[in-house]
Amino acid sequence: MNNTTKHKTGLRGAWEATKNYPVIFIVVGLVAIFSALYTKRFLSPVNFTATLRQFVTLMLFSLGPSIVMLLGSMDLSFIGVWMLGSVLLWILTPVIGPPALLVFPLLGLATGFIAGVVHTKGRIPSFILTLAILITYWGLTVVLSGGYPRPVKGFGWITASVLPRVPTPFLWSIPIIVAAIIVVLRTRLGTYFWAIGSNEEGTRLAGIDVDRYKIIAFTLSGTFTGIGSIILFAHLGGSAPVEFNMNNVVRPLVAIILGGTPLVGGSGGPHRTILGVLTFSILYRGLHLSPLRPEVIDLVVGIVLILSIIISSKGTRMKGVDIT
Amino acid sequence: MTQSEPCAGQTPARLRRRLKTTTIMPIVATIVVIGIFQILNPSFLSYQGIVTIVYAMSYFLIAACGLTLVIMMGSFDFSVVSVMKLSALLCVLYIEKIGLLVIPLALAVSAAIGFLNGVLFAKLKVPSFMATLGISVVLDGISLLSSRGFLHLLEHERFRSLSVTFIAGLPSIFYWALAIWLLCTVLSATTPFGRRVFAIGGNPRAAALSSINVDRHRIIVFVLSSFLAGLAGVLYVSQQGGWSMEIGGQMMIPLFASVVAGGTSLRGGIGGPQRTLLGVIIITWIQSGLLMMGLGREIQSVILGVIAIIMAVATTERGKLTPQMVK
Repeated sequence: MNNTTKHKTGLRGAWEATKNYPVIFIVVGLVAIFSALYTKRFLSPVNFTATLRQFVTLMLFSLGPSIVMLLGSMDLSFIGVWMLGSVLLWILTPVIGPPALLVFPLLGLATGFIAGVVHTKGRIPSFILTLAILITYWGLTVVLSGGYPRPVKGFGWITASVLPRVPTPFLWSIPIIVAAIIVVLRTRLGTYFWAIGSNEEGTRLAGIDVDRYKIIAFTLSGTFTGIGSIILFAHLGGSAPVEFNMNNVVRPLVAIILGGTPLVGGSGGPHRTILGVLTFSILYRGLHLSPLRPEVIDLVVGIVLILSIIISSKGTRMKGVDIT
Repeated sequence: MTQSEPCAGQTPARLRRRLKTTTIMPIVATIVVIGIFQILNPSFLSYQGIVTIVYAMSYFLIAACGLTLVIMMGSFDFSVVSVMKLSALLCVLYIEKIGLLVIPLALAVSAAIGFLNGVLFAKLKVPSFMATLGISVVLDGISLLSSRGFLHLLEHERFRSLSVTFIAGLPSIFYWALAIWLLCTVLSATTPFGRRVFAIGGNPRAAALSSINVDRHRIIVFVLSSFLAGLAGVLYVSQQGGWSMEIGGQMMIPLFASVVAGGTSLRGGIGGPQRTLLGVIIITWIQSGLLMMGLGREIQSVILGVIAIIMAVATTERGKLTPQMVK
């Protein structure tokens, strides 16, 4: 379906696009396979809606981290922002009403800023730092909510249906995604992010304050996660969650890597993540329609993760970059 | 073995500073933590209290020793908890069929997983935390699939006696852990192998240029780490006498916190298993103390998460002339 839009610019343009985005082949292949196997159910409107719902969830979670991964760092705290934000919303809504929604972006901003400062000034690896933040936030969530999911009333308007068959959160997420893409592709910030990802030492020697831009990247990531969490909160049931599931952390990462942002950074970005998320959503829905048990699907997701990171680190093997 | 000074030319002042920050601090922290919980709960240092802590500490120490070797080398092993879970499950599932032969089987499977981790990291150049994260997702899937999510009980006297026989007032799992800890300390502090691992942790490129086979050492260390995690799983299940999907739970952060609290730097090249002992004492003491005060796992994860971040920052050596890149 991506190919049809590309064809308008001519065959040559389409070829260029597919060469740059090889994941398009996987998308088309998956659609073809699943349509052939489960024609009725896979091509049904119900499945279309379900795929879009899956797309929104993954896309909003992976938007922030894909900015940070552009720099070669890692941000795993996104689930924590969503969980702690939801429970803070539950606490604040009776006190200050609907403006309580602002707690999500503010929490995301603060988290991202702190993560960035500790990562750059304390010089500790970002994945373990953000993992510690994630676990801390999960603990805080459970402590604050008393261990029960807390439904929050009054935010039904976020998910209220506008277009038939298209989930409203999908419409909400479009401006957020566009904003992230503009930041990375059309501003000086994005250029610096790319530079830091492809050669941090070189960027430092070129006189760019690497630490500052790393902090900005983490802050942006947290903020985008926070804004996305406003929608995700309503999208994923409208209550403060207390169950922590590592799968929620891993799936956005799979989507980002599938999209073509390598773990060492320097190329890719949110616009590629769209394709990765699309691939993953289609794969996931297709597996869901198959007679496989949920545990097997988790296993398949893990294997896809390993395969995609092996393929995506091909560039590292050729460049001879140090990895840890 | 020839005695050569690995860091020749170290000035006394620098040595003293390093001693102060990374050796004295964990000792002080240990005393402070033990003191605080002693005041809050006077019955803590009774015989029963000690046995409880020894049980909580022993398998933890074995797994932490493996993780220390990896962190010392500047990498990270995310799959420790999943390997532990899987090897414990193997014991529970096959003990009825093949008896005690299940132990070598579980250890061999663990070592094989470590080899896979090592190859992914060293040969295929996947960053270690991501490779092991992927492996751990797959392993958890396998565990969930083959256990069907049920609780499994284990009633094999000989196997249970591996951990719960009391010798001189303490359970045998304690002596296992002590032996493993000593072996790891000797391996990392006195052997050429240990020195090369330190060198790789300090600067992999320099190590490669001084004709150290970096890839091979990385694979060996990952095999060791997974092997020790497997051993921890075997001893844990023989101590507990049962398996559930919950074992290990959120153990990754406490494990990591105990390694850095002991004074092993996340940047690699500094620390070692000898320091991890104190870290494990600090962390398990905090965990057991909070548990005895009636505070649940969630508040523990808040406290340990914050401790982990603070410790990681505190043990990182700053002020080097050429700042290393941190991703």
